[in-house]
Amino acid sequence: MNWIDKQRNIVDFALSSLLRRWRKNLALLCVYTFVVFIVASVVFFAEALKRDACLVLEGAPDVVVQRLIAGRHDLISSGHMEKLARITGVSDVKGRLWAYYFEPSVGANYTMVVTEEAAGRPGTVAIGAGVSRTLLAGQGDLIAFRGHDGAYVSLEVARVFPSSSELVSADLVEISEEDFRALFGLPEGIYTDLTLRVRNPKETVVVADKIRRLLPDTRPILREEILRTYEALFDWRGGIVLAIFAGAALAFIIFAWDKATSLTLEERREIGILKAVGWETSEVIVMKSWEGIVISLTAFLLGLVLAYVHVFFTSGTLFEPVLKGWAVLYPRFQPVPFIDPYQVATLFFLTVVPYTVATVIPSWGAATIDPDTIMRQ
Amino acid sequence: MRLRKSSAFIAFTVINVTGLALLFAHGALERQRQAPVLSEKKIMVERFGLTDLCLFTDARYTRNPAVADRSTPFQDNPLSLDYFPSGSILPPPPHLRAHELDR
Amino acid sequence: MSLIVLNGITKIFNRGRPDEFTALSDVSLEIEPRGLAVFRGPSGSGKTTLLSIVGCMAKPSAGRVLVKGREVTSLPDRFLTDIRRHTFGFIFQQLHLVRGISALENVILPAYPSGEGLASLRERGVRLLDLLGLAHRADTNVEWLSGGEAQRVAIARALINEPAIVIADEPTAHLDTKLSLDFMAAMERLKAEGKTILFASHDPLVYESTMVDRVLEMRDGRIVAERRAS
Repeated sequence: MNWIDKQRNIVDFALSSLLRRWRKNLALLCVYTFVVFIVASVVFFAEALKRDACLVLEGAPDVVVQRLIAGRHDLISSGHMEKLARITGVSDVKGRLWAYYFEPSVGANYTMVVTEEAAGRPGTVAIGAGVSRTLLAGQGDLIAFRGHDGAYVSLEVARVFPSSSELVSADLVEISEEDFRALFGLPEGIYTDLTLRVRNPKETVVVADKIRRLLPDTRPILREEILRTYEALFDWRGGIVLAIFAGAALAFIIFAWDKATSLTLEERREIGILKAVGWETSEVIVMKSWEGIVISLTAFLLGLVLAYVHVFFTSGTLFEPVLKGWAVLYPRFQPVPFIDPYQVATLFFLTVVPYTVATVIPSWGAATIDPDTIMRQ
Repeated sequence: MRLRKSSAFIAFTVINVTGLALLFAHGALERQRQAPVLSEKKIMVERFGLTDLCLFTDARYTRNPAVADRSTPFQDNPLSLDYFPSGSILPPPPHLRAHELDR
Repeated sequence: MSLIVLNGITKIFNRGRPDEFTALSDVSLEIEPRGLAVFRGPSGSGKTTLLSIVGCMAKPSAGRVLVKGREVTSLPDRFLTDIRRHTFGFIFQQLHLVRGISALENVILPAYPSGEGLASLRERGVRLLDLLGLAHRADTNVEWLSGGEAQRVAIARALINEPAIVIADEPTAHLDTKLSLDFMAAMERLKAEGKTILFASHDPLVYESTMVDRVLEMRDGRIVAERRAS
């Protein structure tokens, strides 16, 4: 227990030492905590969204086939469907009907989707909570959509999707095929794109290759690629994330610089006294390490706690303007707290360790002075 | 005797770690609690045949990045200011950045 | 047996550089246990350097130092620190108290790395301050202490590790006559307890005191004369 008592004594002195310059150290702690808070918030938020996306989009079609004309996505005909269905390993080829609809009165973009379920109730739509918010429309209300010929078609809201599903459904308008074709003037046998299932997941890439050769004017998009799209969410190269990380890195460099250059005369004198009264060089360095650990560990823990509360209790209030951007319609959602322990550990090593090292290194030189230096002053 | 400084620090750190542990425990509980919501969303995705999350509705490219035109990330540059926050959070999908043409 | 033996000690600073100078040349000396010895001489005569070599703070450029019969010049720093910690207590000319912490914390500071529990350390520290009549100031920050009080805190700090030898460099340099006499009285008590005391001083009040057993006259890095009390 001798070792523990020794460390506690040294911690006591390190704390005394910090308290003596409490103004500077408190300011340091606040800024440092804020940096950890911002970085941890981004990490938590991004991880939660990514994991949510990965789990939810597991339900996406195995392959989406889109037709390209002159470099742009174009409608696809049922002739393509038949060709696709003949490829071995492919099943369940379906035509997908979906569209973007711009509502000028509120300036919002909706996504209209056709489902088989909606076919049973023509004249009605089911809408996402975001659509409901922007139009102030609830169940039983009529919504007028402007058709391709300029005529308005009124459809009744049969249902509003639950708010818990906003991350996938906020801007959706579920509509029957009949109404969809009438609204947009699409003839039978024409679809937005095609989806299909591949019986053996290992064959997906082979199937995609066959599709490309069989139908040179199309491109297949694999579910695996869709998932990868969301892996890149909050990629560090993105503008905002880069700005945050660069800001955090800069703040940290300023700390380290301050630490490395600001071993004051007072601090040097103190180290000299410790050496003269019989502390070993290693004990002085341990003391300085504790100074660094106290600040950085506290900032790390506080920053992490605050970030958790921010992201998972207040739904990332600070990110809201960023996520809303210029959009009129945006999802309101409470991220599911997925936390990657590896990321927390990385954050720990990126905050506590470099700061402690930055505290210790300048003291190293001061701590190796001869103990008699102080006698000759 | 007065509270020892190192004891105060240890106590403070223990409180923080406990707080963090409680929050992470909350996370685990919440994940369990949200599991039905997640599977409900997954079913929705299957039913609608969706390929994307509804995160940003400000542009075609940001609403449906997975099925965006191959040329989209270059024509409607994701870092252009009209899609500023969303485009900088959601970079061009990897399969559009990769040399898909060569495959 | 001699407590400390110096054998042909030479100390050269900045060796091989233009500003090289010899602080001590070929000093040999034995210090017996118990008693008070004063090194006396003008500034620059090598008193402080000699004290720091005796106190294992600095290593000589040549020669050997034996502490309680053990050769220490060739020991690595870690062991030297250990010997220094348990054998010597230092009182510096400028006192060198750590500002911003209490008198008591200053007193027990040298004992922190020993791993002794804080409670027993504080108890010993308070007892030492009490002996010096300063117990009521234990929790005062040192910058609020008067010169004499600070001096006594420095004495208490030198004693916390229960050293056999107390070393003081020009202890009365910044004290008025009354405080200097107080200081000498405190040292007399230590001497009576059986401690060995070494001073460097050119203050007559110190080296002419009746309690001094031995005065060593230094000049240009050598001991040129010695006077023993009868």
